[in-house]
Amino acid sequence: MTKPYFEPDIMRISWGPQHPMSGQTRILLDVDGEKVYRIIADLGFTHRGIEKILENRTFLKGIIPMERLVMADTPNIGLGYVSAIEEALGIEVPERAHWIRSLMCEMARINSHLYAFGLQAESTGYFPAVFLWTTVDRAVLLELFEELTGARWSFNFFLPGGVHADLPDGFEDKVIEGVHYLRRRFQDYWVAMVENAIFEMRCDDVAILKPEDAIRLGATGPVLRGSDVAMDVRRDEPYAAYGDLDFEVITESACDSMARTKVRFREIGQSLSMMEQIANEIPSGPFRTRVPLFVRAKAGEVLSRVESARGELGVHLFTDGGMNPYRVKINSPTLRNMFVFERMAELDEILVADIPVVINSIDPWYLDSDR
Amino acid sequence: MEKMNALFTLWEYCLTFVYLPLDLISKWVTDMFNLSMDILWNLPSYSIRFLTFNAKPLLQVLIFPGLAFILVFAIIAVWFERKFLARAMLRVGPYYCGKRSGVLQVFADFIKLFMKEIIIPEDIDWFFFVMMPVLLPTIPALSLILIPFDQNWVLWDVGSLSLPMFFAIAGLAPLIPIFAGWASNNKYTYIGAFRVAYMYISAEIPLVLCGAAVAIMAGSFDLLKIVEAQRNMWFAIPQFIGFVIFFLGIMIEAERTPFDIPVAEVELVLGWRTEFSGILFGFTMMAEYVMFQAWTLLFITLYLGGFNGPNILGSTMYSHIFWFLLKFAVLVAIIILLRCVFPRLRMDQMLRLGWFYLTPLAVLNLIIVLAMKLWGIY
Amino acid sequence: MTEEAFVEAFQATHPDLVVSAEVLNPKRVSVVVKREGFLHVSRSLRDDFGFTHPVSGGAVDYPKENRMQMIYYLMNPESKFMLTFRVDLPRDDLTLPTLTQVWEAMSFHEREAHEMFGIEFVDHPNMIPLLLPPDWRGGYPLRKDFKGEGIVE
Repeated sequence: MTKPYFEPDIMRISWGPQHPMSGQTRILLDVDGEKVYRIIADLGFTHRGIEKILENRTFLKGIIPMERLVMADTPNIGLGYVSAIEEALGIEVPERAHWIRSLMCEMARINSHLYAFGLQAESTGYFPAVFLWTTVDRAVLLELFEELTGARWSFNFFLPGGVHADLPDGFEDKVIEGVHYLRRRFQDYWVAMVENAIFEMRCDDVAILKPEDAIRLGATGPVLRGSDVAMDVRRDEPYAAYGDLDFEVITESACDSMARTKVRFREIGQSLSMMEQIANEIPSGPFRTRVPLFVRAKAGEVLSRVESARGELGVHLFTDGGMNPYRVKINSPTLRNMFVFERMAELDEILVADIPVVINSIDPWYLDSDR
Repeated sequence: MEKMNALFTLWEYCLTFVYLPLDLISKWVTDMFNLSMDILWNLPSYSIRFLTFNAKPLLQVLIFPGLAFILVFAIIAVWFERKFLARAMLRVGPYYCGKRSGVLQVFADFIKLFMKEIIIPEDIDWFFFVMMPVLLPTIPALSLILIPFDQNWVLWDVGSLSLPMFFAIAGLAPLIPIFAGWASNNKYTYIGAFRVAYMYISAEIPLVLCGAAVAIMAGSFDLLKIVEAQRNMWFAIPQFIGFVIFFLGIMIEAERTPFDIPVAEVELVLGWRTEFSGILFGFTMMAEYVMFQAWTLLFITLYLGGFNGPNILGSTMYSHIFWFLLKFAVLVAIIILLRCVFPRLRMDQMLRLGWFYLTPLAVLNLIIVLAMKLWGIY
Repeated sequence: MTEEAFVEAFQATHPDLVVSAEVLNPKRVSVVVKREGFLHVSRSLRDDFGFTHPVSGGAVDYPKENRMQMIYYLMNPESKFMLTFRVDLPRDDLTLPTLTQVWEAMSFHEREAHEMFGIEFVDHPNMIPLLLPPDWRGGYPLRKDFKGEGIVE
């Protein structure tokens, strides 16, 4: 596939797709002993052509394949496409729907970040204790999702013009109960991971990504904020209810793998407080405006951006007056972060043992990068 | 005529080359026949004499510090590890095989490993590949014979050589992963094999230095005498530094979790074990536990008073063995449960620990012991 | 720098290379440039206008108008608006100088546009398929005239 690359003393290791920590990708490592000289990411093992699939479906039907990009984070991904459709069709969304959308997005962000912690703990060689703790705690969120949407995993809950259903009775109290439970659990995670001496040794000063490099290489999401660049779509161009919510953009100045992990930790705190705010202050009113099933959008284009758990997701929707999108370009966050990962061996000294730590610190989701 | 005579002599001389072996062989055959008939005829009495004369060593080899003990320990340790670490992970662990306790799961896995196909990759060194896992559990098992469980229950009492002998036998063990990793002809096994080499070298020097300090304090290299010297006070108290170093050292030698660097599954699939399948893999897994067992028993002997303990079972020997096994069980449980609290160190951090901290501290420990000995404090 | 100020300044800097520059929405600016001065304009965008943060890149196929549009998504970390930086290519001559010499991170996106649309990026350092298999012979999947006939099982 790539050009043969012969150099004395350099061994090329094929890391994945059959590897305990690689996920659905292959990484080629050029190593000399333990030191990694070059990283080559070989993506595309899960390419499904979602952009082409969306061209052949009506706007409404396209939401379902679109959410398959990141299964742990479906509300955020779905919101990217749904808000693009709304802007293209000129649909007004009621205020309450915006708040319900924000609630679900924050819950999904916590879900996704918990999954990332579990993998990060396992990649440092933790016996999978922390991974299973996060799995158990994600069940709390999944039960909330189930009560709200009827599904635990892939919801298709956001429709153009609002959301599918209103909040059930007493749901706000359950959200607050879940928030209190998760706050308590985060003390445990903090002790087990951030304050654990060996975890600290493994993650501190590993794969330092300086702010100017992060900007130059197009990093996004927690990777960019872990490099001390305060960029967050929720703050820069507030969508859904984020204009009314009170939160801060988390940054860490250490710029290493630990900083990226800590950003996720502290973002969960922000997400929990946002969940609490939404549960307390959600406005009443209609949750959906009626939209006809088959609509034609006038020719034009819309670029919508949302902040998914892995970073900024852009959906560039081109319409030509038909019932289907003319072209959908998805700017996926993992693809951008994978490029940063590819350049990591040039930016900092990386050993073979650091590779799982580094790759999980950027939190890749290969279905997202391959589309 | 003379010529004929000479030829005849030559012919006879040549014939001796044929007759002599034939003669020898027939003699040997008849001898062996007589001997084997003799053995067969007297087999019952011979075997009874053999058993009565060797009853104790046979018992030791087959049952107590030997085969049965090793197997039972491996089974219990695996079961404990699965069931109790599962509690730390909010799971129940093995549940169906052997009712709720899941004890039979270990046997089921063992049978499964036996039944599985042994896959031997192409382009490998066949001899080393098959030989090394088979050989691997034998070396730590061999070092077990030196451990005294009582004054009268030492399988091989080599007197004042037993501690150096232990280190010599156990020091052979890292060679085998290196050969196995090299023979597998795989990049992951290759890196794993060299990690083994680095790790054992950095761990074994502090271990030997600590062992020397213990020997100096006890005044002998004999493990029995070392145990006798701890009758009043365990060496863990005067040599606290050595105690801690040795504890870390046995975790490194046994590749327990903060130091299971050569088989780090998230980095190197399974390190030097990657290519083994079926029962060959089973042997490598078992070797890990035998290694763990041998070093832990040595640790108890050197620092935790060995078999010393109050006589509670009536017989001195039984209570000695009881105390030894109790200490062993507690220590094993602690080391196994440490696994769910710590991630894994990196190779360079491990080497820094070994060379920058453990080795100088082991020397310091040795100096302290010498000083105590010189001024007669101990 | 606001969006309108940027558009004015940009048009003033490259009057003869810009086809059109307009503010589509708040925070969305679209710039279409000619292919001739493409590399020069992108260097100026990075150095003079501060678009140091590359986001993505992709193409759109317009077979009826016989053109393809290559779009680069850029972001200015200070003013934080999204610039879609476009260049129109005739469908029978799909060559473009690579932008990896300006924004290194466009490498993945140009590789994707190459395999999906058949755009040739001159001097790209590592032009191998990104998402499609290396032995893919089925044509360019995201073109509008792709029917999937060339796919061989």
